[in-house]
Amino acid sequence: MDTGKDSRITRLSHLIQFSDATFPVGTFSFSNGLETAAYEGIVTDARSLEEFSRSAARQAAFSDGVTALAAMRAAKAGDYDGILKADQGLILFKMNDEARLMLRRMGKKLAELAARMTPDPLITKWLEDINAERTPGTYPVAQGLIFTAAGLDEEELFASHQYGVINMVLGAALRLVRVSHYDTQEILYRLAKEIPALYEEAREMNFDDMNAFVPQIDILASLHEKGSMRMFMS
Amino acid sequence: MDYSKVSGKIFSDAPDVDFSHAREMAPYLEEPKAMYVGAPGKRGYLNLGFELDRQGKSIMRELDRRAPLIVQQELYFDEELPGLPCVYILSSGGPNVDGDRYTQNISLKKDSMAFISTGAATKLASMVYNYSGMIQRINLEEGAYLEYLPEPVIPHSHTRFICDTCLTVHPTATVVYAETYMAGRKYHNNELFKFDILSVCSHGERPDGTPLFREKFIISPPQMPVREVGIMAGYDVFANVIVMTPQDKVAEIYDATTPFIDKENRLAAGITHLPNGAGLLFKVLGMEPGPVKKVVREFVSTVRRAIKGVPLPEEFPWR
Repeated sequence: MDTGKDSRITRLSHLIQFSDATFPVGTFSFSNGLETAAYEGIVTDARSLEEFSRSAARQAAFSDGVTALAAMRAAKAGDYDGILKADQGLILFKMNDEARLMLRRMGKKLAELAARMTPDPLITKWLEDINAERTPGTYPVAQGLIFTAAGLDEEELFASHQYGVINMVLGAALRLVRVSHYDTQEILYRLAKEIPALYEEAREMNFDDMNAFVPQIDILASLHEKGSMRMFMS
Repeated sequence: MDYSKVSGKIFSDAPDVDFSHAREMAPYLEEPKAMYVGAPGKRGYLNLGFELDRQGKSIMRELDRRAPLIVQQELYFDEELPGLPCVYILSSGGPNVDGDRYTQNISLKKDSMAFISTGAATKLASMVYNYSGMIQRINLEEGAYLEYLPEPVIPHSHTRFICDTCLTVHPTATVVYAETYMAGRKYHNNELFKFDILSVCSHGERPDGTPLFREKFIISPPQMPVREVGIMAGYDVFANVIVMTPQDKVAEIYDATTPFIDKENRLAAGITHLPNGAGLLFKVLGMEPGPVKKVVREFVSTVRRAIKGVPLPEEFPWR
């Protein structure tokens, strides 16, 4: 990947590639609590699914989103310690085992992919540190690194991060909730319009500002963690 | 903002509490038109220190306070754990009002134990210009045991409240830190989620400064859909219980606790592991404080059984 020399079309193609639901980082195996929400009758239709997706997106914006932006800023500044700090900071903030597992599993996969696609030394070094268990290797940090290497900007990174979270829930919903493809695409289209407001807040936040308030999702995650449902890993 | 530079005013000698660095409080930094920020009586302070006396009994050795916070003396009223010093924090001012600041330092020396609660629910009054803020520093040495179980916090319309709690806990010690927040004065004009903001951050670390976790939640009803699925759809009360305890106890408490969603009684609870093996996090949602408190106390009873071998006593009928 020739950073800086790529045309806009190439960069946009990279953006679509990294955001694609078939991008092999294992998105499809997580439901972000939706599996339990559907089982408990909390998410039953398009309307409750949209609310659930909005809550998940907001929660992710002010933690994963903030972390992805911090990783991109550190990568652009060549600040490797800043990358490690963002990685560690997100783990300190994630109050759920399955969520931490998801972030680390997807993060490592994306780091492996990124290391093959680009010769970026920061990514190579970070992957080595993940393999040596010197850093957790979270997905948002991996996103920040690969987007930087591909010459993409903060808004593109944040849009992709949010799209990924929402699409993960909606993808799982097709298998868990009585909704159609029409429903999920309409929800995705509507929620996309809410991303700019989240970005305006998230871009100003640092580690100390990260916050989340989704107690219902937290309780669903706990039921999943202790339960026997295993179509999805969260 | 440095309020202490304002001339012609007398300021409390209690430590300053300043949250002007917190982004979310930026809209609420105007000086109140009534009593100014930092005035004596508006900057509460508590310093409580527990330790073992020569007979090995846990006592409250240190007590320093500034109005409006009041702590009198430790009482030994826990029938399951008669050696447990119990302390109620009271406030002579009634509710927290606009521009109030509080500092609460609680430390437990090696192998000592304590129970801390409040005398009644903490009311957070309506605010117009500023906010109410509290900083807590809780420090547990090796083998120490603290149950911090205050009564619920009740925000009013346009309440702004921020709280920062640092839990510094030795790997052999156990702290139970519980908080219960109501959505508002439910039976006063249906004042639910009418507050401006509640910003609550609790972070844990080891005595050498190693960070373990950082939980921060901001509830700002004007800015977020609090009633939507995933947040508090169909619930009016939220409780959050942090337990930092040694690894073997973590497993025992986790195994003995069952998360549930009881649709009929609109009550739900979940448990998960804090990062870095720090302990557990227990969350409860409900409609009324009574049943939520009962679930919290049952959980704390499980913790106490694991650490001290005895349950919590029955709650007093007047509590």
